[in-house]
Amino acid sequence: MHPPSKPIVRCVGITKYFGGVRALNNVSLDLMPGEIVALVGDNGAGKSTLVKILSGIHQPDNGSIWLGDVEVRHLSTGRAREFGIETVYQQLFLCDNLGAAANVMLGQEPVRSRLGPLRFIDTRRSIEEARKHISELGAVLDDLVTPVRRLSGGQRQVIAIARATVNAHHLIQFDEPTAALGTRQARATLDLIRRVAAQGVAVIVISHNLDDVFAVANRIVALRLGRIMLDTRLHQTSREHVVASMAGISFRQGTS
Amino acid sequence: MRSTVSSLVARMALAGGRNLGLLVTVILALLLIALFSPRYLSVDNLIVVALQVSFVGIASLGTACLIISGNVDLSIGSQYALCAVTAAMLAKMLPSPVAWISGIALGAILGLIDGLMVWRIHISPIIVTLGTLTIFRGVALRVTNGFGVRGVPKSFSIFGQSRFFGVPMPVWVLVALAIVAHVVLHSTTQGRHLFAFGGNRQASEAAGISGKRVVLTTFASNGILVGITAVLAASRIGSAAPTFGVGFELDVIAAVILGGVAFTGGEGTVVGVLLAVVLLGIVNSGLISVGVDPHYAEMVKGGALVVAVTLDQLTQEQQERHRKALAIQERSTVA
Repeated sequence: MHPPSKPIVRCVGITKYFGGVRALNNVSLDLMPGEIVALVGDNGAGKSTLVKILSGIHQPDNGSIWLGDVEVRHLSTGRAREFGIETVYQQLFLCDNLGAAANVMLGQEPVRSRLGPLRFIDTRRSIEEARKHISELGAVLDDLVTPVRRLSGGQRQVIAIARATVNAHHLIQFDEPTAALGTRQARATLDLIRRVAAQGVAVIVISHNLDDVFAVANRIVALRLGRIMLDTRLHQTSREHVVASMAGISFRQGTS
Repeated sequence: MRSTVSSLVARMALAGGRNLGLLVTVILALLLIALFSPRYLSVDNLIVVALQVSFVGIASLGTACLIISGNVDLSIGSQYALCAVTAAMLAKMLPSPVAWISGIALGAILGLIDGLMVWRIHISPIIVTLGTLTIFRGVALRVTNGFGVRGVPKSFSIFGQSRFFGVPMPVWVLVALAIVAHVVLHSTTQGRHLFAFGGNRQASEAAGISGKRVVLTTFASNGILVGITAVLAASRIGSAAPTFGVGFELDVIAAVILGGVAFTGGEGTVVGVLLAVVLLGIVNSGLISVGVDPHYAEMVKGGALVVAVTLDQLTQEQQERHRKALAIQERSTVA
């Protein structure tokens, strides 16, 4: 696949204004396959803006984005999806009226046959593929047909992540994945995130919870007022250092 | 194959309770009416009943798709009138088949107009199509000067008046279109995306489903079905009036909702809708044939609708409680 030394997605000097507010200021970030990058920062630090730029929802005012070896001038949601960038939102965009398999395969249902414009769904393959994606996350879900509104929060989380993995060949972004979950479910979700990364996908996790960050990430990027204040391997930093970076306080860490 | 069957079984079980209830009600209603008026169950009479329900039936297929996808078109009664008078007027100048096709094509255009506005204007489709309900009716009245269109050539009536094996054309059209609608809704990606869109629009668009495409194709298809209904009706009667289809949308929506399509979108079956169309048709004609004041029929129809949505609401509340209980259970088992 990709040699681990080569970034799969690169942001170079990204700046984004919303009216007079500079949400991102000259942000550069290289993402490696299999790496879990935690994006931390206060409200308004620019975490969500960065995630939305990488998923094509917002376009940067300045700077460039590289997908693999290609510089993309205008990253649209379609282009991001085509390249294999997916985002799992906190609100867990699921269709409550559909089953787990239908949700996981939504928009990419396997087709059995065609008649004019009509495409007939291969229900069996749809269920098989959904089951495969779910089991790759180490999760088990027996009933993939019952509407997901009857499922628990943890099961719904599995479905949302499984859906993202169907298409996320290169980058998957999690926006506050554990915010709405109990302790046990949160732990299960962090396991899911590790599994996704182990498949060779770059992962970005936005989180307010430093316990989660230190439990799951290999790398921490702290944003403050749209600037990257800290970009370091997890084992080269400490909680105090991260908190200080988020707050904009200069911090001397031991000898370094 | 087995999981295909099992998913089908599961799906049928979900919709099945309700459809079974409707079927039982239809049979009970038939038996009850037959007790007082045995002639009602004669083949000839049942064919008449089938003919009467076929118009609402065809239109209800389109409305079902719209409501499943989270939309609605209130202007179908006016579309009906405009398509009918247009087809009848054209039939006086052009060959009848051209008039039929034009009436149906006009339906597609009117549906598309509604779809474009609903997609572009971000207010409730109820408001948007309430506007076009009035506009289309106005156009129908204007082009006819408010008078019925008469003196239509005999050949125009071939479409609506023909019979196969003793069964009138509109009934065959309903059966054929119902099969198509059933297959499209429950077996194709297009149908799946209607349910998804009605279930959670944001989620569907996030999954790459084009909202524009869903909205425009459902409204246009609905318009085509309304056009077919209108042309069949005008052709059957051999004339058309700009006052056709006043209140038609209410009959159609009542049947669709009674048939188990959730007004909030995302739920429904063609079988349920057909059963409800038949049930309402039986209530209408049956009560009259038994000799009950027709005004009671209106009350019974309205009452059936209220009972049905109340039952839905209660089931939903129960499911919600179940889900909450599940969530509490999950949270309490913290390792």
